[in-house]
Amino acid sequence: MNWFAATRFAVLPVASLGASWIAVVAVSFLLIRLVPGDPVEIFINHMNVRATDELIAAYRAEWGLDRSLFAQFAIWLQGFITLDWGQSFVTGQAVTAELFPRVGWSAAIGLAGFASAILVGSGIGFLAALQPGGLADRLSRLFAIGGQALPAFAVGLIALWILAAELQWIRPFSGGVVERLLLPIALVAFFSIGSVSRLVRAGFSEVCNAPYMRTALAKGLGRGKALWRHGRRHAAIVLLAGIAPDLAWIIGGTAVAEIVFGVPGLSERIVAAVAERDYPVLQPYIALIALWLVLGLRLIAVLRRSLDPRVDLGLEVGHG
Amino acid sequence: MADVGTLALRIFMLVVLLFIAIGFFWQPHDPHAVDLSQSLEAPSLVHWLGTDHLGRDLASRLIVGAQSSVLAIAIVLVSSIGIGIMAGAAIAIGPGSVSVILRWLAETVLTIPTFVLALVLAALFGAGLMAIAAALIVVTWAPYALSLAALFDRLRAEQYWQASLAMGSGLPGALHRHLLPNTLPVLGALAGADAGRAVILVASLGFLGLSADTGHPEWGAMIHEYRMFLFSEPRLILAPVFATTVLAFLLNQVLDRNADV
Repeated sequence: MNWFAATRFAVLPVASLGASWIAVVAVSFLLIRLVPGDPVEIFINHMNVRATDELIAAYRAEWGLDRSLFAQFAIWLQGFITLDWGQSFVTGQAVTAELFPRVGWSAAIGLAGFASAILVGSGIGFLAALQPGGLADRLSRLFAIGGQALPAFAVGLIALWILAAELQWIRPFSGGVVERLLLPIALVAFFSIGSVSRLVRAGFSEVCNAPYMRTALAKGLGRGKALWRHGRRHAAIVLLAGIAPDLAWIIGGTAVAEIVFGVPGLSERIVAAVAERDYPVLQPYIALIALWLVLGLRLIAVLRRSLDPRVDLGLEVGHG
Repeated sequence: MADVGTLALRIFMLVVLLFIAIGFFWQPHDPHAVDLSQSLEAPSLVHWLGTDHLGRDLASRLIVGAQSSVLAIAIVLVSSIGIGIMAGAAIAIGPGSVSVILRWLAETVLTIPTFVLALVLAALFGAGLMAIAAALIVVTWAPYALSLAALFDRLRAEQYWQASLAMGSGLPGALHRHLLPNTLPVLGALAGADAGRAVILVASLGFLGLSADTGHPEWGAMIHEYRMFLFSEPRLILAPVFATTVLAFLLNQVLDRNADV
């Protein structure tokens, strides 16, 4: 039954992906709607017009607020998918026009930060496993402790102060590439390198004692080469099994990095929206973040499955 | 970590806690007293850390600023450990369906970005400690529940546990004697990390300008308020930055006895 197999592997994952995304978005939609405070009144207050009953009724009808919650959600969802995200309560502008130019900055910083953390963290983790207690091992432990215990904005501010005020290498808030891209990416990466390197180190270390490693060494392969050739798959599996919390970190880290270094990304607008209860701006932001998390978690699951068929059978590898 | 280092950390932690505790009753100066004739004074014996642009004593503001963090830590730890213990017990000894649902819930909430949740809750219910605490509690109960359930599962297979029950000791007594000693280090490490996260999140939202009451000093709000002085008077920014960093770091390290990840 070829078509059946095709359905199972192509349609089902997409459907369950969509279902989890819609579930998250629906919960946030419901939460926002259940809070006291009528969106129309907030909007009219911001617009500084006198609220006549007819005006309120007209806006309620236009935004579909006179319909059931379910219908409202359907309208919003359709709008989100067709890129009609409504207009901001505060500025009155289309939300898409406000957010689209900013998405690129945030996505670039977040994705590049995540990628660099994985690259650098894997390198440190590999070297740490090769020489336990060595320089790389101590470095990875420092990164892990720092990543958990230091506030991101504090590290960013201190970096800015040292680079701009003490060393005078950069001109603060000049909007240069270094400041708008390199420093934020480094800040986001800094906080993930620790966990990545500890996971990768744990993965490689488990392989160090495996019988096939002894065989490889006995055949005359160098230690580093043997560990890389035989351990990288296992290290990747361990990394994938433990990387999920970093997906969430990237969001908060990117937001803080953008504010510290004055990047014109999403966060600045979102913080303003939070302060002003500008829900039409907030709702698509939540939907985008949910999309990133759902896609990321699914990608992790797919990669793990393809690297390690035992995941499907529930015989997952332990790591510690 | 060496024993000397651990001891030094603990003593340092005690000193910090003492300062915070005394700060509830006494500060060197009134943290709210504006005196424009003394604005931006350098640190001296009278003003340990100098004064800010309004002539307020920085050290006093720093000491009072700790109180928001302490309050957030207390709310988060009490609630998340309480919920975590109950949920963990339900996962370990509850009926299968409850256990499956709770386990799924615990694993799901762990993927929620606390920072974004805190932003959303701040927008819904107003910025402030409650929004931050609620955002943390939604996520932080899960590790307690999962690790407690795992510990209990492992314990049930142990012979000394079965023996202790067979000898007629009641469940509470057996739990006290055998589960508690195994649990405390794990709970301590989790609690330390959560307390650190609470300090960081309170300060982060304050830094974004989303703290509840701008009149009351809070470390993140201070950084937000003084942000234009980063280059002219870095002392104003660096003091709350270091206070946040030191407290978060200490909480993480002191409570975590098996600090080797």
